[in-house]
Amino acid sequence: MGYVVAGYVIVLSLLFLYGVQLVWRRRRLTRAVERFELLATPGDRPGDLPSGRGAAPGPGQDAQPRAGSAGSR
Amino acid sequence: MSVHQGRPSPLQSSRARWTVRVIGITAAVATAATVWLALWVTPPDVTQGDLVRLVYLHPGVAWVALYLAFGLAAGASLLYLWPRTRSLFWDRLAAAAVEVGVVFNVCTLVSGSIWGKPTWGVWWAWDARLTSTAVLLVLFLGYLALRRVPAEPEARARRSAFVCLLAAVDVPIVHFSVLWWRTLHQGATVLNPDLTPTIHGSMAWTLLLGFVALTLVFVWMLLVRYQIGALEDRLGSGELDMALRQRQAEGAPEDEDEAA
Repeated sequence: MGYVVAGYVIVLSLLFLYGVQLVWRRRRLTRAVERFELLATPGDRPGDLPSGRGAAPGPGQDAQPRAGSAGSR
Repeated sequence: MSVHQGRPSPLQSSRARWTVRVIGITAAVATAATVWLALWVTPPDVTQGDLVRLVYLHPGVAWVALYLAFGLAAGASLLYLWPRTRSLFWDRLAAAAVEVGVVFNVCTLVSGSIWGKPTWGVWWAWDARLTSTAVLLVLFLGYLALRRVPAEPEARARRSAFVCLLAAVDVPIVHFSVLWWRTLHQGATVLNPDLTPTIHGSMAWTLLLGFVALTLVFVWMLLVRYQIGALEDRLGSGELDMALRQRQAEGAPEDEDEAA
């Protein structure tokens, strides 16, 4: 039974820790985006840029973040 | 080329976040129910004894890693490469699926190894199923490493999609390895060639619930990981635009002075 308990503890802990890390990353990025949008003047918000860059695209839409930017990996 | 016009992604609306939260809570409840049934309710197996309880976990994580995560990543990569459906949405979805799939792949190898030690007497054997699964992990770690190489987003998406499709060739090899070669690993319990499950009663229901619970966990992780990718792109492109404008604003008078 020791192997069984060890298996459940290790696997569920791995999944839990990864899940917590995902939530933490999302929260940190959400705050960063909010802070960035507050700092930007109304005309300078990413969504208002002439290039159209800003919010993330949905299916069927193309976003073109530039090379070297902190885009998703 | 169409680009977003400053409106949030469909996965970033408050309704979407609420949906993601509901999926997360449901996944947690289903996982807790699976653990309760697996460890306290189901009987020990005639042959394997209590070790059969690991079987409620191991095939579920393997199902998610091999078929859901890497299958979805391969499908999304194919849709990216197809000119009519080309969109960075598919690239981001593939990246999210692979990252979550790698975590589940590690869980598959760990849970299998813990089951193998008391059953086979060794933590690891260079068996066809085990080796092909380990190769799959290395291939998709390579995919994640490739994504970190700086490049134009389209170039990165294109080469990542090619690599994903190449790596996904290993998925059917993993699945059929127990049929193609003589292996230590047992054959498929549910998805065997005759589609006649060799598990019944409370054991079968617990196994099924485990599949559902881990699938929900995967869906939740995939959605959150996708949101992270979307936020990174939004922040990255916006910050870069602002930095360029600031640089231009700073550089303009100097340029004029130099010209004068």
